[in-house]
Amino acid sequence: MTDSDQHPYVEWIAREAQRPVVTDPAARERIMLAVRAEPMPQRRSRVWQRVFEPRALRLSPIASTLLAAGLVGIGVITGKVVNNRDVRPPVGEPKVHAEVPQLPVSDTVVKFVFVAPEASKVSVVGDFNGWNATTTPMVRTANDSVWTVTLPLTAGRHVYSFVVDGSSWNADPHAPLAPDDGFGRPNSVRIVGRGSAL
Amino acid sequence: MIRLAATRPVLRQLCSSLLAGILVVLCTRTGAAQDPDPLLKLDPNSRFAIELMLDSAKAEGIPTRPLLSRALEGINRKADGKTVAAAVRKALGHLRTARSALGGVAEDELIAAAAVLEAGAKPAQLAVFRVRHKDRNDLAAFTYWADLITRGVPSEDASSAITKLWQDGADDATFYSLWKSVQSDILQGLNPGAALQNRIRETPGRAPSSKSPPDGPQETQSL
Amino acid sequence: MNDDAADVQRVLAGDVDAYAALVDRYYDRCARFAVRMLGNRDDAEDALQVTFVRAYRALDRYQERDRFSAWLYRILVNQCRSIAARRAHREKVFVREEALLLNAPDRSTSWTGEDEEFVQRVLNELDPLLREAFLLKYIEEMSYEEMSTLTGVGVSALKMRVKRACDRLRERWERIKHD
Repeated sequence: MTDSDQHPYVEWIAREAQRPVVTDPAARERIMLAVRAEPMPQRRSRVWQRVFEPRALRLSPIASTLLAAGLVGIGVITGKVVNNRDVRPPVGEPKVHAEVPQLPVSDTVVKFVFVAPEASKVSVVGDFNGWNATTTPMVRTANDSVWTVTLPLTAGRHVYSFVVDGSSWNADPHAPLAPDDGFGRPNSVRIVGRGSAL
Repeated sequence: MIRLAATRPVLRQLCSSLLAGILVVLCTRTGAAQDPDPLLKLDPNSRFAIELMLDSAKAEGIPTRPLLSRALEGINRKADGKTVAAAVRKALGHLRTARSALGGVAEDELIAAAAVLEAGAKPAQLAVFRVRHKDRNDLAAFTYWADLITRGVPSEDASSAITKLWQDGADDATFYSLWKSVQSDILQGLNPGAALQNRIRETPGRAPSSKSPPDGPQETQSL
Repeated sequence: MNDDAADVQRVLAGDVDAYAALVDRYYDRCARFAVRMLGNRDDAEDALQVTFVRAYRALDRYQERDRFSAWLYRILVNQCRSIAARRAHREKVFVREEALLLNAPDRSTSWTGEDEEFVQRVLNELDPLLREAFLLKYIEEMSYEEMSTLTGVGVSALKMRVKRACDRLRERWERIKHD
């Protein structure tokens, strides 16, 4: 079989499954213990017992051709798996899987405020806009240092940050911190819509 | 005729370029904010790993929203695929542990509880909150708890303080008030642990309600 | 005479410890197949133990013209089938704790436990015969001829099983994407 439809996901599964597994180092010793307890295998006559007899494959010319093609296919697959250079995206148009949350019909309108006198642009990013720095730009108020934006947000817990000049991520100094989530800098938390002090 | 033949390919080329230009403009305008699938920005290995994690979470009834959010955050922070996948994996682990510790809770509470674990609290400390009061939502308690640890308050101290307040029936305003004053003290240079100890003494608890509070650790007992 | 044949001759000549060289040479690779096939380490270790001991017992029947690895794998594949059949009632889900046990120490080619768990779960969902064919083809990278010798199944049937396995994996991916 030539795997002309070499789906990248299948290749990935194969590649990952090829990694070695950790084995118990004592397991080999257990095998040798068991082996040493066995009677020594003696060289016997070379008549094959049926269970170990290799099957003679009789292939028709067509089958031989197919087998050869299959071997070529294996080579191609192996090459692809090893090289992983031109992994194509999944077959077909990918549907919207990662649904980036749009601004919802909300429970509460929330104001975000950030002081950044030196900034030329500030935006708020968070779980409500897919952390996209272009979606929710903030506006400089009459006081040049203060940037604000007012957003409708659903009730509940929201995590967010302020992005200054497109690249510098900053927590809100007036809000509780979320722990560092693996990207090096903590975000801030806003609880919305429960009449809390937040 | 020769002139006509020569201009046709040129015209064709012009039209193609125009069309391409129009398409580029259209796509830029309409597609500026969102890609159809932001995860496609990741390398295939990381993308597959994350998709499988999302699938696992779904199968286990764990909310995928925070996992997807974590991935999108990483992508927008320009982290590499491995880092993003690791962050999503970590988040999934904490959500699982929070679910084990608390049982069935509202999604936001679960996410906030996972943040408490992420900050450094132990599952056993969270499990104290398993005994739920029907009229209470612990979102605020968990949020400030995670913050205190993140700011440097020793995990044991923060856990004890929050738990004690909770057991005494403190409301959201009380948790907020404690947090605000501790934060202020820390910003002024006070040691976070000391700041908490000072402020917890000032914080009024409520008398226990008629429902007997859940059995939990005493203030000084470490969990 | 290759290394395998030489070691077999030494064992047959009375040097039991020479078998350790064969075990060392093939254990990791067999372990990988057994774990992927059976989905958990306990079952895999049982399969490996039985396989290597049975292979030892049958050494006297081994002939130099045979490839030791193919011969060993035939025993291993059969063992895995037996264990899977005997324990068919057990949950096949790859338990997370097992995944943590399998967490490799800093070896650049091996996994964190968590990724392995996910991939193993996907493999576990394949019908055992499809999984076996998929593993032999793409993890052990055997030819269909070798696979046929090993499994006793005809080449075209094996090709069909491999194709079906790939189809299932693809379908699964589509489901993940579209959920």
